[in-house]
Amino acid sequence: MTQATAKSMPSASTMEAPVAPRRNLNRGKLGMACLICSEITFFGTLLATYLFYIGRDISGPYPQDVLDISVAPMKVVFNSIFLLTSSIWIVLAVKALRKGRIKTFACWWLLTILFGVEFLVGTGMEWYGLIVDDGLTIRTNLFGSGFYTVVGFHAGHVCCGLILLTIIFILTLCGYMHKRHTHKVDMLSWYWHFVDGIWIAVFTIVYILGTA
Amino acid sequence: MTTDELHPRPSEPQGIELPAPSSSPFTCAFGVTLIAAGLVTQWIVTIIGAMIMLIGAIGWFKEVHPDDREETIPFEEGPAAITARNQKVLRLMQGTRHRQRVPAEIHPYSAGLWGGIIAGIVMAVVATIGSLIEHGSLWYACNLLSATILIGVESQTAEQLAQFNSTSLIVAITIQVVMSIFIGLIYGAVLPMIPRFQLLFAAAFVPLLWTGLTWATISVINPTLQANIDWLWFIGAQITFGLVAGWWIIHTEKIDTMQNWSYLERTGMESPGIPSQGGEES
Amino acid sequence: MTILEKPKQTLHTKDPNASFLSYMHQWIATSDHKKLGVMYVTTGLLFFLIGGLEAAMMRWQLAWSGMDVVGPEEFNRLFTMHGTTMVFLVGMPILLGVANYLVPLMIGARDLAFPRLNAFGFWLFFFGGLLLYFSYFGAQGLYGMGSAPDVGWFAYAPLTERTFSRGHSTDYWILGIGISGFGSIATGINLITTILTMRCPGMSLMKMPLFVWLMFIDAILIMIAMPPLTAAQIMLLFDRWLGAHFFDTQGGGSAVLWQNLFWFFGHPEVYILILPAFAYVSEIIPVFSRKVIFGYPLMVAATIAIGFISLGVWVHHMFALGLSPMVNAIFMGSTMLIAVPTGIKMFNWIATLYGGRIRFQTPMLFSLGFLTQFLLGGLTGIMLAVVPFDWQVSDSYFVVGHFHYVLFGGLVFSIFAAIYYWMPKVTGRMLSETLGKWHFWLLFIGFNLTFGPMHVSGMLGMPRRIYTYHPDRGWELWNLLSSIGVLFQIAAILFFTYNVLNSLFKGKKAGDDPWDAWTLEWETTSPPPEYNFPEIPTVHSRRPLWDKKHPEDPDWKYE
Ligand code: HEM
Ligand SMILES: [Cu+2]
Repeated sequence: MTQATAKSMPSASTMEAPVAPRRNLNRGKLGMACLICSEITFFGTLLATYLFYIGRDISGPYPQDVLDISVAPMKVVFNSIFLLTSSIWIVLAVKALRKGRIKTFACWWLLTILFGVEFLVGTGMEWYGLIVDDGLTIRTNLFGSGFYTVVGFHAGHVCCGLILLTIIFILTLCGYMHKRHTHKVDMLSWYWHFVDGIWIAVFTIVYILGTA
Repeated sequence: MTTDELHPRPSEPQGIELPAPSSSPFTCAFGVTLIAAGLVTQWIVTIIGAMIMLIGAIGWFKEVHPDDREETIPFEEGPAAITARNQKVLRLMQGTRHRQRVPAEIHPYSAGLWGGIIAGIVMAVVATIGSLIEHGSLWYACNLLSATILIGVESQTAEQLAQFNSTSLIVAITIQVVMSIFIGLIYGAVLPMIPRFQLLFAAAFVPLLWTGLTWATISVINPTLQANIDWLWFIGAQITFGLVAGWWIIHTEKIDTMQNWSYLERTGMESPGIPSQGGEES
Repeated sequence: MTILEKPKQTLHTKDPNASFLSYMHQWIATSDHKKLGVMYVTTGLLFFLIGGLEAAMMRWQLAWSGMDVVGPEEFNRLFTMHGTTMVFLVGMPILLGVANYLVPLMIGARDLAFPRLNAFGFWLFFFGGLLLYFSYFGAQGLYGMGSAPDVGWFAYAPLTERTFSRGHSTDYWILGIGISGFGSIATGINLITTILTMRCPGMSLMKMPLFVWLMFIDAILIMIAMPPLTAAQIMLLFDRWLGAHFFDTQGGGSAVLWQNLFWFFGHPEVYILILPAFAYVSEIIPVFSRKVIFGYPLMVAATIAIGFISLGVWVHHMFALGLSPMVNAIFMGSTMLIAVPTGIKMFNWIATLYGGRIRFQTPMLFSLGFLTQFLLGGLTGIMLAVVPFDWQVSDSYFVVGHFHYVLFGGLVFSIFAAIYYWMPKVTGRMLSETLGKWHFWLLFIGFNLTFGPMHVSGMLGMPRRIYTYHPDRGWELWNLLSSIGVLFQIAAILFFTYNVLNSLFKGKKAGDDPWDAWTLEWETTSPPPEYNFPEIPTVHSRRPLWDKKHPEDPDWKYE
């Protein structure tokens, strides 16, 4: 092998073996997607447990008596609508930020927070009713254990989300948020969508399947 | 955050920007642990833990907002240039085929198939001769083989084992055919990979290994069967099989593996303009 | 590129004037993946010594019938802490640490995607481990003494319920493992993101080193399989503290559910532990055979298949439970199925060895030890997958033999291979070959002497987790052999420890590329600078350094 070939090879290699194009995957969003994946298996486990215990209680109160949508709280449906629509507001908020309209962003963002808070308050009221009126606590029976764990963890996630949203809101008020933070805010919105999505699963299993 | 940040421009004169060190993750993790520890010790620990975690979280937040805090690492002496070692690269094959996978030539599968079948027949004959000599019966070995599947046969007496039994015959023939073809195919695939003494491998190494394994474990697997086996004839039959199958396979003509064929050739398509087998490298 | 005048960095960047405190601060505040990797592995090795000590105590107790080294309660704590330590505080941190150190180097990046999260993950693991061990002092046991968890590493319900496990020992198990589990999930997510977004130019997925592929699938398994454990642990915690009834059989709860949830995590977990072993030997065997790995695409496919199938076999740990024959049959089938991709890997490693110019240096010796021992462990695994056979030996020493062949003979041997192979990169100094060979052969003999006879004592009916046994069972010889093996292993570990310490201070200088290897980590200096590569490399094939060393015959023409 001569020096010349040795020198020419690398350049030949760059020519013939083209470098694979780099795709613009965003780190933060991908990380969030992974986090959501593991959260899904976490909730999946809780929900599987809940499903497993449906109908196995030998003493009440039973879900049919206290949760059935036709029996008692239309409130739950009402609450759910609040939570689910908040997803729309956060999309609009991110859109506004992407365009650099900070004020519009702040408005939609606040609306998201308010809707989220409404949901939490609703859950709190529901729990109050269950505990005080129906006498259902986590120690009462399997239903109680499962219900408070599943719904509680979901509410906990809503709570976390709200804290983060509020921090962003405060930062916005102080003028710290800019267009270039769209990625980070968008990441947070994914989390919020996920919390919504999980609620759909929880609702289906706890309020529809569980009361059938 | 864009992907370009991941690979900072190499030509920066000062050095390279990396995330600045921060003790916040440490603080935060410590706080989390204290929160948990408080649950099993004193609630006050949980409170302190929560406070520590909060401090950590705030510190962490400041690291990344509004922008990641970074520090510049000055360049150090770079790595030595990469050169080939002062060694020659040994090639299994020269020329354009030096990148081939070995073995480049193998026996056709049919060699293994036929080798197995023929060896299976010869082996059956040897085993039957053994039965004749030792027990004066054509069926002893056959019955014994069937006992690996049939329940109850293994506990028969030697006289019973010498009797003809049609079920045993069918089972034994099935076992013999399946196993012979199976081992024959394996031999066909493995033998071309043995660099030297292929016949020794086929006729001594494998039979001895198999006999040894059987001998060592049969007392656990099937102790009643064990009592009826003549080990000398057992190993004789094994070696016969290995010898015949090995000899047959080794003496068939080798063919090229298809690794140099193009995809079209491998699918068996023929049309003008497709290079002939093994001609071109992809 | 400018080269500034600055003393060459060593592993411990230590300014003689700096105080001890600022030196510590450097480690505590770091988010450098290499420092964190070193911290992970060091902590893991320390826990390995502790876990090993616990095992040695158990073997001493079992060496002969009727021994009285430790009592039954202490014995329960020993096997619980041993198992928990080895899985969660040795296996996990070492695999995460090695991945931490090497993945960015191998894909030509400067760090992981989230460096601070990485530090957070490490510290969670670290403090979680400390919390677990604090139970020896902190947990109020039945008699008011401190006591460690004693419910076995899989903590079967309902023995973990308040009624049966008084005091806080089980809570320590839940919290310690839970916290370090969060750390593992964080680091798993970090690895996935890093591998998907930070590869250097030219490194498409199919040009990544196999190591990176395996750690990628491993991280995905961590991401999917760890949260169910956390969820199950939280439910258990609610049972214990809030009076919920999930696993409380008296209140309608189900012990079977716990088993399902635990093993749904537990089986993927054992594959989480073994995939890194595959990763190490998949790098080492080619380099020491001087051949490219055989069947790269098939290796990748097998890895993915293992990842998938391992999520669907967990019931094989519950064959003796009395589930329906249908369920048993299905999971017997899926368990057998997983042996197929594992077998493919075996054959590909052997095919890589075949025709190679094998160099029997210490990393290679340990890799070959891995191959043989993992093969045996895999074979006993397939035996256990056969339901009727499993009914005979389930919960016996045969199972103990099986999983030590895969975990010790497989994972630990490959970890040693990795340490001998990559430590020159980490510290810039070689480990001694002579001491390494002593280490290998003593460990090889000791390991097989300890765990080989366990298959026999298991078949003779010796149940696992008994603290002593009657003299009339015929188990004594086998147990004695097992215990004698431990002495060899202790000797081996002493050789290893001395070798490492000696190499740190007096080892031969390694240079950038001591093994004449082919992946990117050998392109930079040993130890690498904080920024890894002065210039981000561009690759064209799976063996970028081969291409540079042999420009006349580059790999990319053939891939
Ligand atoms: C060929 C692949 C494998 C098969 C078919 C297999 C099969 C099995 C079966 C059926 C059991 C349950 C035995 C019983 O409790 O009755 C078992 C236990 C176990 N296996 Fe495997 N295994 C395989 C590979 C592995 C690997 C690669 C590892 C880890 C690196 C591993 C680690 C374990 C552990 C730790 C246990 C015992 C768990 C316990 O009861 O504490 N196995 N294996
Ligand atoms: Cu398993």
